[in-house]
Amino acid sequence: MISVAPDMSNKSSSNIDIDNLTKEQIALEIKNLNLFYGEKQALENISMVIPKGQVTAFIGPSGCGKSTLLRCMNRMNDLVDTCNIKGEILLHDQNIYDRSVDVASLRRKVGMVFQRPNPFPKSIYENVVYGLRLQGINDRRELDEVVEKSLTNAALWNEVKDRLHDSALGLSGGQQQRLVIARAIAIEPEVLLLDEPTSALDPISTLTIEELITELKDKYTVVIVTHNMQQAARVSDQTAFMYMGQLIEHSDTNALFTTPKMKKTEDYITGRYG
Amino acid sequence: MELNLNKHISGQFNVELEQIRNDVLKMGGLVEQQLTNALNAVTEADQELARHVLETDFQVNKMEVQIDEACTRIIAKRQPAASDLRLVLAIIKTITDLERIGDEAERIAKVALESFNKEQQEFLVSMDNMGRKALVMLHDVLDAFARMDVESAFKVHTADKVLDKEYEAITRQLMTYMMEDPRSIPKVMDVIWSVRSLERIGDRCQNISEYIIYFVKGKDVRHTSQSDIKDNVL
Repeated sequence: MISVAPDMSNKSSSNIDIDNLTKEQIALEIKNLNLFYGEKQALENISMVIPKGQVTAFIGPSGCGKSTLLRCMNRMNDLVDTCNIKGEILLHDQNIYDRSVDVASLRRKVGMVFQRPNPFPKSIYENVVYGLRLQGINDRRELDEVVEKSLTNAALWNEVKDRLHDSALGLSGGQQQRLVIARAIAIEPEVLLLDEPTSALDPISTLTIEELITELKDKYTVVIVTHNMQQAARVSDQTAFMYMGQLIEHSDTNALFTTPKMKKTEDYITGRYG
Repeated sequence: MELNLNKHISGQFNVELEQIRNDVLKMGGLVEQQLTNALNAVTEADQELARHVLETDFQVNKMEVQIDEACTRIIAKRQPAASDLRLVLAIIKTITDLERIGDEAERIAKVALESFNKEQQEFLVSMDNMGRKALVMLHDVLDAFARMDVESAFKVHTADKVLDKEYEAITRQLMTYMMEDPRSIPKVMDVIWSVRSLERIGDRCQNISEYIIYFVKGKDVRHTSQSDIKDNVL
């Protein structure tokens, strides 16, 4: 590197070095992951780490495998019959695809929010505490606390605190999405997976969610898949670019959007793809 | 690096990038002409040509404002990334330096409006000599910009040293002359300012060469030694 004092060149968006992380800094580690839908290979030998307490964004054209990879992180692909997975994803040194792993408890640690807000047809309150009730927690005071804390963290509390027992379906799209995020963080996961969380929302709601993502990374590791490159540039610390089932480039977001290393990344983010 | 402006999915974006790039080259051509005219006006004591330079400077200024506006529009509407972003930034910076070179040419042209005795005209010859070197630098850096050629940009970067040395030599010569003949000071000061302008033009060409390297290599090489650039960037 060029020595310039003070060194301002290529200032990274996070203060970590993605290639040299200690065990404590890693939330998830993906090792040689291959995934097939029947005959078709959807992911080719993916190896990467998801750093703890950071926002990692996945970008890439439709069908590049980014959502598939995200779903692997809490075994959503188990629901697909023809899906065949080889390789490992390590959470606390344990392969989540190991036989001994209980999928329900994995999903408590690795929560997920989808593209379209999917609140249950219940009250706002019941939506947030749904996961806790499943765990057998029914103590009123404890649930109240969790509802306030989760809705506050999801930046929704002030808007709904007077109508907690109204139906969640009466909320706007942006509010519903924040409610779903509140529901996901109510059970205090370690990792939060967001699959295009704002693609069905208007620009203002989108900004609210983006602001929320930035705040969430203090407590959770966030992994987000997005079609919106500017969104990835705005909210993430690390960005991974995928193309045709391969991980092309994974680096610091500031570096990736100003000086990408790979030609394919450059073509994609400057709109030359296709 | 190959300049691929024409491969965007959005055809309009291609057109806009192509347009600002061409405008910079046009502005560069205009500034080059201004400097040539200014130098010719001085050597040939052509007052009319000198006045023409002074009157034409507004065109350079106008182009700077127009290109700046176009760049602002592109940033607002297209959110350029990676090399597109670097191109827009390099252009915004390049035209600032080009505009200042235009101003320096204006200052040089003003010297042609004065009259000099035989002995003093010798200084104008040394100044013209230095001016031609600055002109070559400007020409080469614009050429490197047109082709986004890092190698030739770096050559311009190193050429600036020659100009700096010449500046020192001429200044020393002029100071000796002023000490011998204090009545000549006002006139010689004009020459000194012009020589200083030429030295500044060299610096500005060097700046532009740095923007070219930044665009192509993605590395900011300002305030970096030439050996570092050579070893680590090229």
